[in-house]
Amino acid sequence: MRRIYSLLLVTALLTSGAAAALAHAFLDHALPAVGSTSHGSPPELRLWFTQELEPAFSTVKVVDASGKQVDKGDASVDPQDRKLLKVSLPPLAPGSYKVMWRVTSVDTHTTSGSFPIQIVP
Amino acid sequence: MPSASRDPLTRCWHTSAPSVAARALALLAASLALVIAAPRHALAHAVCGDRVFPATLVMDDPGVGDELSLPTILYTPIPAGGGNPSGRSIDYGFEWDKTITKDLGFAFNDDYFTRYGAGQNLNGWDNITLTLKDELPCSEAHEFMVSVGVIREFAGTGSQRLINAGVIASVSNTTPTFYAGKGLGDLPIGYLRPLAVTVELGYQVSDWHSTSPNVWAYAFSVQYSMPYLQQHVKALDTPGFFTRLVPLVEVSLSTPEIGPTTGTISPGVLYEADTWQVGIEAMIPANAATRQSQGTGVIAQFHLFLDDIFPESLGKPLFNTDLWGQR
Repeated sequence: MRRIYSLLLVTALLTSGAAAALAHAFLDHALPAVGSTSHGSPPELRLWFTQELEPAFSTVKVVDASGKQVDKGDASVDPQDRKLLKVSLPPLAPGSYKVMWRVTSVDTHTTSGSFPIQIVP
Repeated sequence: MPSASRDPLTRCWHTSAPSVAARALALLAASLALVIAAPRHALAHAVCGDRVFPATLVMDDPGVGDELSLPTILYTPIPAGGGNPSGRSIDYGFEWDKTITKDLGFAFNDDYFTRYGAGQNLNGWDNITLTLKDELPCSEAHEFMVSVGVIREFAGTGSQRLINAGVIASVSNTTPTFYAGKGLGDLPIGYLRPLAVTVELGYQVSDWHSTSPNVWAYAFSVQYSMPYLQQHVKALDTPGFFTRLVPLVEVSLSTPEIGPTTGTISPGVLYEADTWQVGIEAMIPANAATRQSQGTGVIAQFHLFLDDIFPESLGKPLFNTDLWGQR
């Protein structure tokens, strides 16, 4: 049974360190929200992640139904909140758009993803 | 005494025939064999494009990683039979997954077995198992990934009491294994896009085929990822706890050369935190042959993502390269 106690001790030690640990950055929430319908074109797209991001290796773009990029191309990580990635949007016509992001967390793990948004008058 | 061996996926114990003449007896013995379904190897989570394949409890996922399963606890009721009263077994397992390169890794695992009742109280360490596994380049757009691996169980590294009782293998074995995972996120199926399927197929080859039969082992899982729904399909206004759940069902079966197919159906749920995961599943006997040797059990696991907890030390590959030049 000593081996079991040793294993449980290791678990406790690892778990205690987990609170301060870094991790893969996954999307926590977005504005406009994932899969949402917005009335009118929002001026900006904001994405909050579960971890702080490396600005040089984190980006997001918005494309229309034909795959053409429609954002202003100024994607950046907010220097005051490094979990926030944002990009400006021009006035967008009603329709379906796809948000595509690729980010690197400060522990160098890279993740990517996409989601739809809908704009109506 | 017949030797015992386990299939590579479900950790089913198979009592093998000591000779060809005992083939009929072996069939009976196999049908009554103690079936203990538990995780055995390389329980890591894997990322492919938008999809995260979580660490499943009974079978393996299709990727490699730096992770630790500690503990995995399996409770199995044992019905009365063969003149023995009913009993129960509790298995305390652990597994350490380590990447050698970004796409090549190994896993080391063992477990402490206890049995109460069922004719004889028993306890002791199981044989050590090592897995070498290579993750092939994944198709991010199609959330599709494949791995191949070899699992080796080293007989003689476990408790002599368990060997004498025929509970663990007295003959080493090797299992070439194929793994695959497919997320359905690339299909236009709306709220079904969070679904994913993983499969595992292995053929366990005994070192002494005449005393321990080879075994086909196969498993699959169907998962519905609430994190995927929340991040890629539709953000629901629900408490955060629910957005981290992955309900799933795992089906794990094994077919020895001699004896009936046995296995389990395991519905349950996983909770995905940033650096750890916890899961619990019921383990329901899949057929009558399995029910002869076990009742419906429960498996639970606490799982740590070492690549996220120790990204600059224990959690990174030994060599910062990969075999396929993809990452």
